[in-house]
Amino acid sequence: MKTIVSLDVNGTPCEALADTRDTLLDFLRGPLGLTGTKEGCGNGNCGACTVLVDGEPVCACIVLAAEASGASVTTIEGIADGNMLHHVQTCLIEAGGTQCGFCTPGIIVSAVALLRRNADPDDAEIRHAIAGNLCRCTGYGKIVTAIRTAAARLSTEPRL
Amino acid sequence: MTTSATDKPLATVGRRVSRVDAGERVTGRALYPADLVRPGMIVGKIKRSIHAHARIVAIDTSKARALKGVFAVVTSADFPNIAPGTIYPFGETGSDAWVSALTAMARERVTWRGQPLAAVAAVDGHVADAALALIDVIYDVLPAVMSIAAAREADAPLVFPEIKPKGFDAERPPPRNAGGRTVIARGDVAGGLAVAAHRATIDVEVDTAHQGYLEPHAAVAETDGQGNVTVWVSTQGIFQTEMQTAILLGLPQSKIKVIPLEVGGAFGGKITVHVEPIAARLAQLTGKPVQIVMTREEVLAGGSGPAAAARIQVSAGADAAGKLTAIDGHYVLDSGGIPGTPTTLLMQASAAPYQVPALHLEGMDIVTNKPRTEAYRGPGGIQAAFAMEQAIDELCLQRAEDPLAFRRRNASVTGSTMPIGTPFPSIPFVELIDRVAAHACWSSPLGAGVQPRGRGVALGYWRGTSMTSAAHVMMSGDGRPMVTIGAVDITGVRTAMAQVTAEEFGLGVDDVHVLIGDSKSSGYSDASAGSRVARTMAAAVSYACQDALAQLRKRAAEKLQRTADDLLYERGVFRAGSASIGLHDLMRATLTEGAVIGRGVSTKLPLGVEIAAHVCDVEVDPETGQVTILRYTAFQDVGRALNPPAVEGQIEGSVAQGLGWALTEGFDYAPDGRLRNASLLDYRMPTALDLPTIDVVLQETPVPGVPYGVRGVGEVPIVPVAACVANAIRRAVGVRLTHMPMTPERVRTAIAKAHA
Repeated sequence: MKTIVSLDVNGTPCEALADTRDTLLDFLRGPLGLTGTKEGCGNGNCGACTVLVDGEPVCACIVLAAEASGASVTTIEGIADGNMLHHVQTCLIEAGGTQCGFCTPGIIVSAVALLRRNADPDDAEIRHAIAGNLCRCTGYGKIVTAIRTAAARLSTEPRL
Repeated sequence: MTTSATDKPLATVGRRVSRVDAGERVTGRALYPADLVRPGMIVGKIKRSIHAHARIVAIDTSKARALKGVFAVVTSADFPNIAPGTIYPFGETGSDAWVSALTAMARERVTWRGQPLAAVAAVDGHVADAALALIDVIYDVLPAVMSIAAAREADAPLVFPEIKPKGFDAERPPPRNAGGRTVIARGDVAGGLAVAAHRATIDVEVDTAHQGYLEPHAAVAETDGQGNVTVWVSTQGIFQTEMQTAILLGLPQSKIKVIPLEVGGAFGGKITVHVEPIAARLAQLTGKPVQIVMTREEVLAGGSGPAAAARIQVSAGADAAGKLTAIDGHYVLDSGGIPGTPTTLLMQASAAPYQVPALHLEGMDIVTNKPRTEAYRGPGGIQAAFAMEQAIDELCLQRAEDPLAFRRRNASVTGSTMPIGTPFPSIPFVELIDRVAAHACWSSPLGAGVQPRGRGVALGYWRGTSMTSAAHVMMSGDGRPMVTIGAVDITGVRTAMAQVTAEEFGLGVDDVHVLIGDSKSSGYSDASAGSRVARTMAAAVSYACQDALAQLRKRAAEKLQRTADDLLYERGVFRAGSASIGLHDLMRATLTEGAVIGRGVSTKLPLGVEIAAHVCDVEVDPETGQVTILRYTAFQDVGRALNPPAVEGQIEGSVAQGLGWALTEGFDYAPDGRLRNASLLDYRMPTALDLPTIDVVLQETPVPGVPYGVRGVGEVPIVPVAACVANAIRRAVGVRLTHMPMTPERVRTAIAKAHA
């Protein structure tokens, strides 16, 4: 059965038909064509599908599309301001914190959510914030460095 | 071929250049096969066996075919029957397409739970799922063997009764379900152990684990009106994928084009084809593009290859002066549901760090009813070192000697004898060990904790491979070199090759462009495996650049009316006295005379053996068995780091994977073959909270005869990890952990047993 789902995605109102069994992740990647958000496990364990729903990081693979109707969603495609990257993105590039890249969108969304609620996190807080995002390539060290650096940069040059 | 660039100071190679493709990765624009949409694309899904061992009596697909929205259903009847020994080219030995065929689609029997039985193509995933449920399979269920020990029992059911085990004889008959046996021996091992003043034997068991890449296997296939098939893949090797797919479909190789998209992690598990030939066959039958994306459960539970479980026993002896007298190693790998997992490299790797007058290494693989084993980062290395480096550590404890000093005394050196009997090429182990000894991770006191603490050390070796890599450089009309390589990017190779190209041309990294070619636009290159691509592709790119520069020199000489030998080339400009012409003007002036294409092929480069020394500090809670990694430092000789952040990233990630297998990652199979932890919640890979920051110390001893002197990097840093942790636990709480992963339950049990 299909249902109409209306969302605000990255600041743009979006409306499309979804199968009632489709997840928010299916909806973003399918009808909306926003494939930057990845599916790594399909049951909320790996964090590759992390998006912001009304400002909170959630795994889009365990939210039904229909259930998210009316929400405001931010995906990896909505993190940069046009071509101007968020500090988290720039710092990940500079630190070498992205390898295969598959976990990277989810990590960035989790990190941005952290920095919005905590402008000056310590390493333990950073690790806690991305503990739901599995990365198999980096060992996390360069990612933690990148988020720490991004926090410092945000304090002198705010970018949300 | 000159390697002049190696001799002069380097401008770009070795610098901390950011990944050239990082922008796509941090914005979600990097394209993986699951992201690709083709016009009219439909969805493929795979029906998998629910038994670990069974004869397939019948598969009735009629109800599935009748379902509205289903376009095609295939079984093994839709693919040619591939005989064992159907070898397709890959490196020096080739690989067997029979293995690929059975991995892609079971025929007549299933030998593991999760093996594919059929596949459907349907309008969407929901219809495809409904169709899978309508496929009726009649099994004649057979008893399953779910461990090496069970498979070897005298009355165990034979999984492959028709396959004759290799490498056995009357004196040494094969155990039940043996695949093949390899022996490397020299000197009198029994005598060497008998005269030893110190002897240690370590007997380990290692559970099956998984490579754990975040991206599930995926492919898109489509056909054209001329019978050509295009496949978009996530693979380690476009040519190996092309050849396997061709054989499995019964098509000429030239009719298949493999286009690599980004690879979301592979670690050895994306060499054998899994979904590619199935998507291709469904595309042929339906005339529509077909996309197959595995679920995580499929990836873990039979859809892709785990890493081999193992039983390994190592005995080592040392004389009163602390010199090794003999090593006796027995290595049994769990091949899973298809025989033929090789053991020779891991046997050699475990003994290679040490000079020893007598050694006997015997390896064999045993078939079980687990998913067919596939390669995982230095395949078998971590399992073998888990036994060997604990045995060495026991000798050190018996001698009450500094474990670094003992290793230094016995370490292999350039020219000493490799396990296979030939002299070692450059192997700067002693220098690496000295670097460890001088480092704070070793020299600083461990410090008291709430719980017992220990510091462990272990060495690692991996031979790596060279094989073949190809690149070509085409000069753009604006004078910039455009490089196409025949290898995929799984380690940042685009960036490293951009640095090499910039170095060779004397240009900036931003002035060159590196393209990952498809199988019809790039030269044959072996798969990205065996720590080979950065080092051998750097050579190919270097040769291709030199070829292009030679052609450009000729054109410049004509333009400047000088002989080619009179020209000096530097930083994009040819000069002769006061006359000069830059690459931009040269190409603008001569583009219509024809393309400038430089070609480079590197094949069978000298080996760049990988060596590592790891140190870790742990804290062990005797009540819970919880092991906390306090500090981890990985030392490695990388020859030359083309791109230091990429090299560090390989090592840090490798250690993280090793720590996962060491402490928490193990597959839990039920007696009937069901995987009881087929999710990333229950199959517990390390999170950011589980690991400390992993420190990396690079040593750079270039390999002679290799452009830029690069060694393999990506595999050896996983090899010593579990042994290093086990040695640290031993020193913390006095017990040897011999079952990996060393879960809290196992650690607690071992401590309790020791105190009983």
